[in-house]
Amino acid sequence: MRRKALLVATLMLAGLIASAPAALAQTDCTKVVPPSPWGPNDQTGATNRVTPAVTKAAAAEIKDGKVVVMSYPLTDGIPLFGTRFTKTILTATTLAPGGALGENQLTYMEDTWLSQSHVGTHLDGMGHIGRKDCYFNQIAMGKFITQNHMTKLGLEHLKSFATRGVIVDMVKVYQAAGKFKTNAACKKPCIEKGTVITKADIEAGLKMYNVTLREGDILIVHTGWGNLFEQYPAQNAVFNSGEPGIGKEAAKWLVTQKIVAVGSDSWGVEVIPGEDPKEAFIVHNILITDAGIHIIENVRTDLMAAEADQSKRATFFFSMTVPKAVGMTGNFVAIEGIR
Amino acid sequence: MGSALRPPAPRRGRRRFFLWTCFRWCLLLLLLLAGASALVAQERRHTIAFANLTEEPGVTLEGTGFTGREVRESFVLAARRHPIELVFYDNQRDPKKALANAEDAIGRKVDLYIQYFDDPATNARVGERLRAAKIGVLAINTPVPDAPLYTLDNRAAGRIAGEALSEYGVKNWRSAPTIGVVLGNMGSREHRVPERVQGATEGLKRHLPALKISTLDTQGNTAQVATLVGKLLANHPATKVLIAAMDDASALAAKSALDSAGRLHDGAIIGQGVDRSVHGGINDRKEIDPANRGSIVLGSVAFYLDRYGYDVLPIAMRMLRGEAVATRTVTAHRLITAANVFIEYPPNDMN
Repeated sequence: MRRKALLVATLMLAGLIASAPAALAQTDCTKVVPPSPWGPNDQTGATNRVTPAVTKAAAAEIKDGKVVVMSYPLTDGIPLFGTRFTKTILTATTLAPGGALGENQLTYMEDTWLSQSHVGTHLDGMGHIGRKDCYFNQIAMGKFITQNHMTKLGLEHLKSFATRGVIVDMVKVYQAAGKFKTNAACKKPCIEKGTVITKADIEAGLKMYNVTLREGDILIVHTGWGNLFEQYPAQNAVFNSGEPGIGKEAAKWLVTQKIVAVGSDSWGVEVIPGEDPKEAFIVHNILITDAGIHIIENVRTDLMAAEADQSKRATFFFSMTVPKAVGMTGNFVAIEGIR
Repeated sequence: MGSALRPPAPRRGRRRFFLWTCFRWCLLLLLLLAGASALVAQERRHTIAFANLTEEPGVTLEGTGFTGREVRESFVLAARRHPIELVFYDNQRDPKKALANAEDAIGRKVDLYIQYFDDPATNARVGERLRAAKIGVLAINTPVPDAPLYTLDNRAAGRIAGEALSEYGVKNWRSAPTIGVVLGNMGSREHRVPERVQGATEGLKRHLPALKISTLDTQGNTAQVATLVGKLLANHPATKVLIAAMDDASALAAKSALDSAGRLHDGAIIGQGVDRSVHGGINDRKEIDPANRGSIVLGSVAFYLDRYGYDVLPIAMRMLRGEAVATRTVTAHRLITAANVFIEYPPNDMN
């Protein structure tokens, strides 16, 4: 009997050992993703570039204190994909007759906000996009996820975004170059979906306001596509059907510029449909997975573009709040450009 | 500056100094010429005309679910990679219109004409007119004499499906009685379905040489699939059925027929085409989807009409550069399954 039990236990152990390589199979991420320039333990990415000197220099962009809104409203009905949803529920029970509290008749209200994190104006964190199971800084994420959140690369590792913002107005660039094609659903000029924004286009946008990128900047690309977001819910389907955005060449160039983030008034920042139909969101890979550079989606850019046009100045102090959301891949954000 | 480019001292001889000056000027001129030619090469934008078979809404092409609009859109998207202007024509499946389109392109002095039309006689006349105007021609699916051809390979596509089904039968139903079925619009020569049928039949016998194969002809009416498959199932109780459907609509209808007969576990189906009716985005939950790996629709063979632009324009560019191109380039048909559909057709709704 004991022998039989020993045999069964041995067989079970052998089976366990044999299945272990399959269960623990993971990609050798050193061959798939480059290392972080900030060391093997880095989980922060490009906000490492926002040093006190960078923030101080960015503060010089505040000339008259004018605050320009750069986020869209966060509400039910804005464009979302597939099964994504938002739902707000107001709790206001104390407003019912007899519901007030104490002699001072205190009443209160609060909300339940059900939503995915990548909704509205939002930031893509380091844990949002990978290649196979490999994420930023060669981290094999299979080992660092639970049912509820990530145990590495969460938003809590990010540093400040208090830096200089630079806007490039692609509508003006394309109009000036005589290659502007719009979408009939846009009520203001917008570049048609599928338009590949190139390095040369971005350079032309920078030259238009005589500015160059410097380390630690956040680049904001105005395409006009956000006008479809503003029309929610009427044009949600058109908004989601594609977008103008940066292509691979531009993304690779932006990596060399050592910026912190790229934002745009579109849902993905990169051109959709992409340049190669067999690649999926390749610009996300180039920026986030390979370079630790954030992507900020659905940025309201039209007001800042108008400011830049009026003042012939494309730079501003970039003020953005990102919650220390532990283990999260991204979150909605509030952005203000201060001039 | 390296010593080789340093001027010799004048005292070493006027002749050497003169030669060195000449060399320096020549070098400068060469650099200028190279720069200018590079600039010209960069700025040269060609005009390519694409005359589509038909863009009539709802009309599908080549016995698949793809429409002319999808073919045209693939050219628009693929053109972003090339220094070209595209001029679009709709041949409207009309020989007169096809000829008129070619004449218009000649008038516009386009650099190259891509002809997608299914009448060889008209294609011959179009080819003659364009050749006389010294405009290169590239044909899609139906040849234009002396022009390179980009084409589907229906027989190869059919064979891919048949082989995959017979392999499935051998692996899963070795001891069970099994029959093969070829299902679709059998007589559609216009869409070269007979070639597809031939390939599927060859493929089904690849791993099951003794397999008995029935053909079920829908005559182009997918609604007939339920009746045809229903009868076949009733006549073959307790038999496994490998169904090579000649299009995706028939494949989905065959699955439905098996379901209605309570025989889903007896069937395996592969379609042809891979249009958006069978695959989609992350949340679309179409038939071929990573989340639907257990489906009896094992997959479908891709025809890639929605990628014609990406396949054809590089050939056109080589022609415009004066490079040699193959007289016949064939679509790289591939079996698309739940395991590779998101690799082959990455969804763009996941952001």
